[in-house]
Amino acid sequence: MKKGTLITVTVIAVIVLALFFWVKNSYNGLVKADEQVKSAWSQVENVYQRRADLIPNLVATVKGYADHESETLESVVEARSKATRISIDPENLDPDRIAEFQEAQGELSQALGRLIMLQENYPDLKANQNFRDLQAQLEGTENRISTERMKFNETARSYNTMVRSFPKNIIASMFGFDTKGYFEASEGAETAPKVEF
Amino acid sequence: MLKTVSKYILSTVIFLLPAFACPAVPTAPSPQRLVNDFAGIFSPEQTAVLENTLVAFDDSTSNQITVVTVTDLEGYSASEYATRIGLEWKVGSEKFDNGLVLLIKPKTEDSGGQVAISVGYGLEGTIPDAYAKRIIDNELIPHFRQNDYFGGTVAACDVLMKLASGEISEPRSRDDDDAGGVLAFFLFLIFVIIVAAVAAGSNKGNNNGRRGGRGRYDDGDIASAIIIGNLLGGSRGGHSSWGGSGSFGGGFGGFGGGSFGGGGASGSW
Repeated sequence: MKKGTLITVTVIAVIVLALFFWVKNSYNGLVKADEQVKSAWSQVENVYQRRADLIPNLVATVKGYADHESETLESVVEARSKATRISIDPENLDPDRIAEFQEAQGELSQALGRLIMLQENYPDLKANQNFRDLQAQLEGTENRISTERMKFNETARSYNTMVRSFPKNIIASMFGFDTKGYFEASEGAETAPKVEF
Repeated sequence: MLKTVSKYILSTVIFLLPAFACPAVPTAPSPQRLVNDFAGIFSPEQTAVLENTLVAFDDSTSNQITVVTVTDLEGYSASEYATRIGLEWKVGSEKFDNGLVLLIKPKTEDSGGQVAISVGYGLEGTIPDAYAKRIIDNELIPHFRQNDYFGGTVAACDVLMKLASGEISEPRSRDDDDAGGVLAFFLFLIFVIIVAAVAAGSNKGNNNGRRGGRGRYDDGDIASAIIIGNLLGGSRGGHSSWGGSGSFGGGFGGFGGGSFGGGGASGSW
């Protein structure tokens, strides 16, 4: 009888211990993956910020050659201020917010595309070295954006897989780990300004 | 219970599908090499000259420049494709992220030619996008228009190597004021290389644990001689690096784990 109790207690202790380590490892794994998603997101924000920082210079250069295209110029400035107003709390990267962010940035991409197209009507602008350099920087920044978005999507995907797959999803829902949103691939391809000489 | 489990499995599978939907860039060749002429635009001799020069440059400065030619960009833009190759193959050293991908899609009868330079994180300061664009406009495309793929590649690699090793920098436009930063970066880089070379020289028998499989400097003295030579020869403009690369022998040691952020430029003709 006494021996039986001892065995029961040992078995329960082992189970509790195993459960504890399982929860601990799952939880820590989720925290680590969550941090990786956040850092990937901050890279995404960095490259979008890089693009926003290029715009004043670009607008000023274009203005020097195409002053009366005020509509296009203003739409860029407006889209830029709208896009930079939307910033996302990295704690809360849900699909809706990312879609909202992406939409604002997409509008800016379109406005920028129209701005770049102006060079076709202004040969002096097209030949201006400063403009060409800015355009190269813009092109590089667009590629950085698509690279960091790809990296973010990959990181978010492995995090989401972790959060949603059994049995880790139990731990995830217990501690409130939500799935993260993605960037939609097609949107970037549609709206990235086409930069050609 | 079983139903819940199968629901999870199903949702996971559906979730993972997009990961397999995107087309892939070519996998890194085995054995690894720096010149990967998948489109077959170089003669074997030209490939060998390029390879030797780039391997020697990798040996002496740790900057890895890889030249990749393809016949199809698989629906990516040229810059995106070049960046993906850099990321996938991990061009450049893990420590400096100093890889460079020069991607060429030759012109054919029914499709235009495209070229892209993708710059690793660590070289973005030395080879800004505007410089990469100028190299494409001034060195690559003029040659490529005349079907001289080798000449253009040599001319571009020449400039890229000089920029990457800090020997010269292109004339700057008025609003650039980061010359000091670039110079400081190179002084730092050179300093690090000297320290590494001295360290390698002082414990010759003990370099088995080194990671990354770059070409071995068996001889620290050669490495420091090269570095000192570079320092002294900074003002000299000669094309010293082409052709005379036989002394390094060794062959390419493999890509080292560098990462790319998408910097660089592209062009078409």
